Amino acid sequence: MQIVINIDHPEPLFSQLMEQIKQAVQTGRLSPGDPLPSIRQLANDLEVNSKTVAKAYRLLERDSVVQTKGYRGTFVHPDAKANSTIDLNAWVMNKLRETIAEFRESGVTDSEIRIAFGNVINERSN
Amino acid sequence: MLTSANILFGIAFLGQIFLISYYFPQKILARMDYVRTSFPRSQYPRLYPKPAEYYVVGRWAFKLATRIILALGFVILFSIIFLIDHATFADDGFISEAFPAAYGVIQFLPLMALEISEFSQFRLMRKAHVATTRTAELRRRGLFNFISPTLLGMTLAMYFGAVLLDLYAHQFEIAWGHDTVQRTMVLTITNLLLAAVGAWILYGKKLSPHQTANDRIKYIKTSLHSFFYVSMAVSVFWMTQAADDIYDLDFLDATIMSVYFQLLILLSIGHNLRNMRLEDIDFDLYKERPAT
Repeated sequence: MQIVINIDHPEPLFSQLMEQIKQAVQTGRLSPGDPLPSIRQLANDLEVNSKTVAKAYRLLERDSVVQTKGYRGTFVHPDAKANSTIDLNAWVMNKLRETIAEFRESGVTDSEIRIAFGNVINERSN
Repeated sequence: MLTSANILFGIAFLGQIFLISYYFPQKILARMDYVRTSFPRSQYPRLYPKPAEYYVVGRWAFKLATRIILALGFVILFSIIFLIDHATFADDGFISEAFPAAYGVIQFLPLMALEISEFSQFRLMRKAHVATTRTAELRRRGLFNFISPTLLGMTLAMYFGAVLLDLYAHQFEIAWGHDTVQRTMVLTITNLLLAAVGAWILYGKKLSPHQTANDRIKYIKTSLHSFFYVSMAVSVFWMTQAADDIYDLDFLDATIMSVYFQLLILLSIGHNLRNMRLEDIDFDLYKERPAT
């Protein structure tokens, strides 16, 4: 099956890659255990930086859509179909919307929310 | 002087002259003409990244070079058989293998120039290709998708066979500067180079940005098979060198070298021309696409 990315699209390339791999799993074009191209092969074929493909694979592995088996390469996860339906981005957005709405109801200003959000993110990265 | 060894060499060398400087160049010229007439610049502009004159001059230069080398071959053959005194020219008094080897290298020059020109054209095609969408097959390309494990096994067996036979021929003497070490190094470096180019073809960027997935698979398969056959031919050649030392076959050195060069072109260019048929390649992608 073919994968198509648009370099002018506002959606980041790694995200386009992830979406298409997930779609391929959902539609049955990729089955559990199917081998995926190596990072180098896919990056060369799509003429993108290998870090872009590596990031897409890493995030797909986090979502249990793919699994890396050492030197043997990357394969479609046995539970990929079930896990492909979970959209982490949408889940994060919903959670944030709920939390921010709660803050606003309590009278917290947007600028206070931004500063607090930044501080929490920095705590994690520090 | 006409001896049976000289006649044998003459026949082999005639084959080398004909095959590398006439038969395959004619095939290549016929392919050039077929592409130019069947897929003209007016309808397939993406196929011609360079100005029209470049292709006319290129074809003319290739034909001229191969014809000059062809004539040179006959001069060399005549000189070897009738003019050169091999008793004073070579230590063993037989025709030196340097003649077919040096001539073989000269014969390959126009073919190499053609290959370099092809790469430069693909580079220009890639530069001119400004599509915003990029496609790739979501299928892993592994070595065994294109060649059988048996072929790999045979190639490895031939490599180790050549090294072992050479060691046997020299009573398993291993010393720096010794023939066996040098031959093993040459054989290993040749195989490593073939492996590196093979890996580049297998995993690297595609040469033509317009090549379809099917055409690419065919190209990879043909190239890899060719590399494995060439590797085996190189091993066989080194085996003959070892056999030469065991059985003292100095009178056959030049003939073997000539046959070796013919084998190389048959397994490389010959194999590719036979398997990458122009009729099977999708040229429609080289047409100008309507603006969207």
